[in-house]
Amino acid sequence: MNAGNGERGTGNGLSSAARAEIRRLMAQFPEPQSALLDALFVAQEEVGYLSPEAIRGVAEVMDLPESEVTSVASFYHLYHFKPVGAHVIQVCTNLSCALNGCGRILQHLKTRLKIDVGQTTPDRRFTLKTAECLAACELAPMMLIGDDRHGQLTPEKVDAILTRYADGRSPKPEARGP
Amino acid sequence: MSEQPTVTLTIDGKALSAHKGTTVYQAATRAGIEIPIFCYHDRMPPLGACRMCLVKVEKQPKLQTSCTLEAADGMVVYTDTPEVKAGQEAILEFLLINHPLDCPICDKGGECPLQDQTYKFGPGRSRFVEAKRDFAKPVSLGPALVLDRERCILCWRCVRFGEIIAGDDALKGFERGFSSEINTPFTLPVQSKFIGNTIAICPVGALTAKSYRFISRPWDNRPVQSTCTLCGVGCAVEFDVRGERITRTRAREHPAVNDIWLCDLGFFGHAFVDHTDRLRRPLMRREGGFVETTWDEALSQIASRLGRTSGPRVAMLGGARLTNEDAYVATRFFRAVVGTPHLDHRVDARPQSPDLAVSWGMGTAIADLALADCVVLIGCDITETYPVLWLRMKQATERGATIIAVTPKALEIQRFVRWQFLHRSGQGGAVMLALADAVRGTAPREAPQGIDRTALAAAAKALGSASRPVVMIGRTALDAPDGWQMLAASGEMCRKTGTELNVMRGKGNAFGATAAGLLPDVAPGGRALADAASELRQAWGSLTTEAGMTAPEILDAAVAGGLDVLFVIGADLANDVPDRERWRAARARLPFLVVQDAFLTETAQMADVVLPALVAAEKDGTVTSIEGRVQRVRAAVSGPGDARGDWAILAALAARLGKTIAYSGWEEIFNEMRGLIPGLGIDERLPVRHPPLGKPSEPERPASAAGGFPLILIPGEALFDRGVLTSRSPTIADLAGEPWAMLHPDDAGTIDAADGEPVVITSARGSVAVRARISPVVLPGHVFLPRGYDAAPVNTLIDVNEPVTFVQVRALAPAAPS
Amino acid sequence: MPESFLLKYISEPDQADLETYLSRGGYAGLRRALSIAPEAVIDEVDKSGLRGRGGAGFPTGRKWRFIPKDPAITRYLVVNADEGEPGTFKDRTLMEGDPHQLIEGIIISSYAIGARHAFIYLRREFSTARDALTGAIAQARSAGYLGRNILRSGYDLEIVLATGAGAYMAGEETALLESLEGRRAMPRLKPPFYPAVKGLYMQPTAVNNVETLCHVTWIFAKGYQWYKAQGTPILISVSGHVARPGVYEVPLATTIRKVIELAGGVRGGRKFKACFPGGSSSAILPEAYLDTPMDYDALPKVDVPGTMLGSAALIVMDETACMVEIIGRTVEFYRDESCGKCTPCREGTVWLGQVFHRMLHGQGRTEDLDLLSGIAKGMTGTCFCPLGESVPPSLNASLRFFRHEYEHHIRTGRCDVREKYAA
Ligand SMILES: Cc1cc2nc3c(=O)[nH]c(=O)nc-3n(C[C@H](O)[C@H](O)[C@H](O)COP(=O)(O)O)c2cc1C
Ligand code: SF4
Ligand code: FES
Repeated sequence: MNAGNGERGTGNGLSSAARAEIRRLMAQFPEPQSALLDALFVAQEEVGYLSPEAIRGVAEVMDLPESEVTSVASFYHLYHFKPVGAHVIQVCTNLSCALNGCGRILQHLKTRLKIDVGQTTPDRRFTLKTAECLAACELAPMMLIGDDRHGQLTPEKVDAILTRYADGRSPKPEARGP
Repeated sequence: MSEQPTVTLTIDGKALSAHKGTTVYQAATRAGIEIPIFCYHDRMPPLGACRMCLVKVEKQPKLQTSCTLEAADGMVVYTDTPEVKAGQEAILEFLLINHPLDCPICDKGGECPLQDQTYKFGPGRSRFVEAKRDFAKPVSLGPALVLDRERCILCWRCVRFGEIIAGDDALKGFERGFSSEINTPFTLPVQSKFIGNTIAICPVGALTAKSYRFISRPWDNRPVQSTCTLCGVGCAVEFDVRGERITRTRAREHPAVNDIWLCDLGFFGHAFVDHTDRLRRPLMRREGGFVETTWDEALSQIASRLGRTSGPRVAMLGGARLTNEDAYVATRFFRAVVGTPHLDHRVDARPQSPDLAVSWGMGTAIADLALADCVVLIGCDITETYPVLWLRMKQATERGATIIAVTPKALEIQRFVRWQFLHRSGQGGAVMLALADAVRGTAPREAPQGIDRTALAAAAKALGSASRPVVMIGRTALDAPDGWQMLAASGEMCRKTGTELNVMRGKGNAFGATAAGLLPDVAPGGRALADAASELRQAWGSLTTEAGMTAPEILDAAVAGGLDVLFVIGADLANDVPDRERWRAARARLPFLVVQDAFLTETAQMADVVLPALVAAEKDGTVTSIEGRVQRVRAAVSGPGDARGDWAILAALAARLGKTIAYSGWEEIFNEMRGLIPGLGIDERLPVRHPPLGKPSEPERPASAAGGFPLILIPGEALFDRGVLTSRSPTIADLAGEPWAMLHPDDAGTIDAADGEPVVITSARGSVAVRARISPVVLPGHVFLPRGYDAAPVNTLIDVNEPVTFVQVRALAPAAPS
Repeated sequence: MPESFLLKYISEPDQADLETYLSRGGYAGLRRALSIAPEAVIDEVDKSGLRGRGGAGFPTGRKWRFIPKDPAITRYLVVNADEGEPGTFKDRTLMEGDPHQLIEGIIISSYAIGARHAFIYLRREFSTARDALTGAIAQARSAGYLGRNILRSGYDLEIVLATGAGAYMAGEETALLESLEGRRAMPRLKPPFYPAVKGLYMQPTAVNNVETLCHVTWIFAKGYQWYKAQGTPILISVSGHVARPGVYEVPLATTIRKVIELAGGVRGGRKFKACFPGGSSSAILPEAYLDTPMDYDALPKVDVPGTMLGSAALIVMDETACMVEIIGRTVEFYRDESCGKCTPCREGTVWLGQVFHRMLHGQGRTEDLDLLSGIAKGMTGTCFCPLGESVPPSLNASLRFFRHEYEHHIRTGRCDVREKYAA
């Protein structure tokens, strides 16, 4: 499923390092299920998205019903159930950003990346999403690319930022593609 | 007993008093005031999600949900002010905007709370002009269940049933907000043994039964109150009958048994009743084949054969599918008319095993399981054998009860098992001894292989300090190579904790068969034959009161040529006996075999005469449950062709033999039984009599793996299987799927078997083909193979002279390298 | 500009470093708190008059007093760092810039209620805050401010950092607890039990907002008399059409007009049109209300139902904002963030969303105005939790103050505001 990263093979999409990390997270809490949200991120980061196998892996390590794990995961916006691009762009479209022209920014991103919201570029570099208020209204209009915040956006600024990521000069190590 | 504190409140001007802790909804309902609800279900804590049950409470600015509001002293509540009406109308309007209103084609039509509430409380008009929420039309969630998400009103009842009542988390909510939907992960078939209950409690037609889709409307059904006889728990059911067909089974409330629930075997297992394979006329063997014949001729032939032999050269096996009255008349027929003491319903017992030394059944009351604070399951796979009992145990776990399991295969409910001692075959006795020692306060003699000492000590501590422990031993333990030791240690442990041992053994009406005397060594009611002799003679005339042979001994006798006639009633020996080879040998030496059954079973196919019998759903009478409770069954339909009730068949045969067995109906038989069976009464419990437990023989050291057969076979149970009846109930057969066996991943790896792929299991005796399931719920070196699949009979592999069956597993198509 | 405390060192690059924090007086308040009885700590918070900054404004000392004192009962502190109310960004600012200020407040507060475990439930998207807090916790731990026997007081505390996964609902305290227990963020029934009685793992739990706990740090650093003398500071997140959006620390009850002025006034010399004074869950207010003091009591008293201080997020809109569009966007927000548990919120928000969509696409009908208020009425007082109840106030206020904009949309199928200011 995932090219280029060594150890895997139990057939459920989770390496033993990921499993160990999930167990470590579980040990932090009086009740291990508390680690579920963080554990799902461990799985998502490793596999790239929450594949059924990744979910099964989490369920197995945490000794929870798969139905429960899937149900919980599906509630939250930050989990992906389909493969996503190397960089997930989240454009805030809530009030302060709307008042500051996020519509224009979003439109610009769609045109430039030639994709619609929810889609991934054919080169699997970018996935475009909208987000609710990201608690950075002083920077409106703003977006996140991966974990990085970019604010006071203009179409020109967006272009410059995208070029940086497209050049592979993103400030963070690249997420693995599917 | 202290008085429960009460509160006084006023609802719609009526002054009411209610126990403290009662909700306003409950108080109102008890006073006959109707408040509409959807999400509230009285077997679950209130949720307050649908917001339908709004009421006005004086001095509270907002409307309140009555299902969540605790009644308080001096509270003044109104359920029908204009404000309340407006609130309820608003909620109904909200619910209906996304409801398809396809009532004319919805199975729930006519018994749909949403339909009813809309009629009573709805606005009668809609302002909704937008497009409704759209889901792919009904989706199948496995063999039993169909989900129509458009109809779902998100009351969460089904989800909470799985979480709170069944503990299987079968259906869940996915996504959120207006995208919320009830489903299984990735719309896979639902994994549950209790899903029928969600169909029953869904307030709309979102969850429907595949077997009932478009079959009937509630007003076309005639309900018949009866008792489920499929596993032994004895759940109260209602068969809905339309014409001569059972359209569906529903749960009837029985507080002491099933409360309001059933398992899916109960819900969907009735379909065999009108299967086209049902026997309609007697069959006689002629020139190697069967020909249909008349009752007259069939009975004459049997009578003439019986006339040519003596009583003790005749034996009878079976009876677990009979009613109490059938079983009783059978006992009378064989002891008094034929004059043989060789009768036994325990056809599946292993020779020499503790199976034959203990009384089957529960001393603990089913309802009390919910109050247990510690449950020990010894070789007892509760959800596969007596599923509804698990629902009571689940309640106990909610109250904090500890479950301890000593089994060779981890239980499906393992999430709720505090200490699971997964043991190797032949090691269960050692685990039980160590546990019994630890309860007694002595350090465990030896820590059995692979078992954690500290866990044992902790489990023993929990058990030792329990004030209401429940201990259950099941077939897997009793049939184990060290079964005697398991039984003895379990008995010892019970003595230490001051509780009784529940023997979780026997299906269908095995308990009724026991009570009615279908045993070689006791009289009806469990009394010693000698003690009951004179009363029996009075009722039946002359009879034999000797002790006869047990089921395994009867087979031995047949093998040795010691029998002339064998009657098999409501049993399929070929599949039921533990060792198929012995049955074959027995049949080969038997001059005459009579089979009385509803289907042409494998056993029936080898018979000389086959008599078509009715099944429980076609009979009036009583049955007895695993806790000894005697309950009514009622004829829902009349049965196919010339099939007859079992006791009537035997009475007719008695007449041919010049003896009179004449009863006007089941009541007369029952009344006669009451004179002979102390404590017999409708809805009363017959005591389970435990004889003093036998001394444990030296644990048999399992032989080591013979060349070429490296794995140990663990025969076990599956709730959904494909036996005589279940293979003819399509939903159950589909739920059961193809025969399967469970292997540990290590062993699967060795033989290159992949999950779901075909494998062949071979022993020195024979082989079966099954699909591999691969999971660490069994230990390496073991193969778990469920009984009850007629296409892969476990008993072809087993030689009962060997305590352990060693097998080899071969992948038919080796797994592709991954 | 009034003097700030909570924000004092927020832009200093090394404030996240323990040494620096200590050199600026950090953890002195903790020392003082640990030297007095927990009960006395609660007393002092009570006297400071501190009210929760998460949105409900419940007095913090009073909340802590609901927590049973029996030492045999396990108690927890849960830090609500899920900041999701539209327009609010003060908590993120505090955590990124001055994490020890929060950690110190957490330790004091945990001590007050007798918790030996504190959990921070942090919004997943706050990666900078996550790093800052992780670092600060590790530093505090190795310096003896966390862990066993803190500063030789005999008091033990562990702080565990957990993250959310994208759900506004998880900011509501009972949904937060569900989420922190690894489940769907659906609100719990209350009454009968509030978190202080049955909270995390059904144990007594104080759920407190990040800013609230930072105030606790200051109350103990300087004493409650000093704190009160400052006029009770509050952080206001100002955004929208102002010249200098940002977090402002002002005395409680500063007027809306004053706060807008602090933020540089309405941007580009435009005319003020309306504002959300307390995040999108508060009703919007037009110009006539600009002199209302931003505090817990004055805002709810204005004649626009549903007005509140909330999370003190002031979103300012000038004349270029189309109210139909803004309220439509708000409705969509609640629709998408509704957990789906209760009927009126789940269905009402979709229905409203559909009506707004039609109106904004030239298919409005005259009946729609009554329909909108009808739906809002059906949602008022019937929802399970405050999320759904947050929708009607702004909708009703917009129908009252900006009805003509709706009517224009319906009549012409077009937006006059947009046409006027399209540039
Ligand atoms: C829908 C909803 C969202 C909320 N979101 C937040 C939030 O993001 N941060 C927060 O601190 N409180 C939030 N709250 C308020 C909390 O429920 C709770 O009142 C607060 O955390 C208590 O802390 P405090 O007493 O320190 O204010 C929210 C409430 C609701 C109803
Ligand atoms: S499927 Fe039925 S029981 Fe389940 S939530 Fe929907 S309406 Fe309720
Ligand atoms: S029945 Fe009361 S809210 Fe659903």
